[in-house]
Amino acid sequence: MASINKPLEEYDSVKTWYQGLREQSGIEPNEDKSRLALLAEFCATLELDPDEIVAACLLRKEGKETKISIKGRRSMAERITDFQAQGGAEGRERAKRGNAVRSFLIHNGIQLQSGIQI
Amino acid sequence: MEFKEVVGRRRSIRYFQSWRNVEREKIQIMLEAARLASCAVNATFLKAIVMIRDNIPRETLDALKTPVSALTIELAPVHIYTYVDMGAYKGAQARLKKLVDVGALNATHGWSHKFVDDFVWPNILKPLAEGSNLPSVAASAASDAGIAICQAMLAGVDEGLGVCLTAFQHDAINKLVKAPKDWLPLWVLLVGYPAESWEAGGQRPRPPLEEIFFEGEYGKPFKGDPKVTERMKAAKMIQAQAPLPWRKEEIKALARMFGLPE
Repeated sequence: MASINKPLEEYDSVKTWYQGLREQSGIEPNEDKSRLALLAEFCATLELDPDEIVAACLLRKEGKETKISIKGRRSMAERITDFQAQGGAEGRERAKRGNAVRSFLIHNGIQLQSGIQI
Repeated sequence: MEFKEVVGRRRSIRYFQSWRNVEREKIQIMLEAARLASCAVNATFLKAIVMIRDNIPRETLDALKTPVSALTIELAPVHIYTYVDMGAYKGAQARLKKLVDVGALNATHGWSHKFVDDFVWPNILKPLAEGSNLPSVAASAASDAGIAICQAMLAGVDEGLGVCLTAFQHDAINKLVKAPKDWLPLWVLLVGYPAESWEAGGQRPRPPLEEIFFEGEYGKPFKGDPKVTERMKAAKMIQAQAPLPWRKEEIKALARMFGLPE
């Protein structure tokens, strides 16, 4: 369990996320810092740094291709749902909390879907 | 819509107006288009079960999603579960003779009832019917089913609908629809009105004609005529390729509308 001892933007997984947002989603992450704040809150809840959150969703075995861990991803998806539920009373605000973290994982290659949250 | 434009407009639609039902007549037209598709030995290999999403129990709906198809399955109001019927070879003998009777298979091409009874059935079709678990048999049957599915998709597009062929967890839906054992599951054809624009960002990038089609022998590209290409553009069969300049903004708007991650 690592403590976060540097700015979040310096973690490789956050750099990857920001690059994905810019290049694939057409979003400039620095225009809305609330995404990063939500990721920081999620990291604090799990007591993991961003790179560790991504690693928790992966299966790495020496000499083999890295795979998404079904168990790890399912567990992370549940943690995101819990994190989202702790948000404000308004549904859109709650969805934004969960989706910030989902976006972080998606751009780090952890494919997951949230379902409609209208 | 003209045929070439229908071909040009088809996209895999991944955002549907989840709240808007599809008229039953449009589904019938899609199924009819599939029924009329070309098929070997006049065997209708494609079988399908139409399900209205809202009639699928929640538990089943969740269980049939795959990681990449979950959202699209959730959004599409109509699901057509497609199967290849490996039992469709049975009865081919009678069907072929019927094609002789109706003038589709003629003596001009060497066809007769006796040819079907004495040669085609015992030497070719009966072994296929009995060995339907062979990969080559399954592949050719699935190919025919694919042709029929394609016609259904194009008919849907012609009716102003969005369509998307995607994967599903077979066991989950089979418990509900009770498909026969010799029906092999293929894809679920999702149908609904698009929530994204019909352009869906533009025609998907495909390799050029010359890379995938050959003339005479492998390695000698089939060269397209630029004048013909212009004709296809005029007929809207070849359209602006993705990404259209506004696509990312459209996706952002859709993400906001459905509460999805970006």
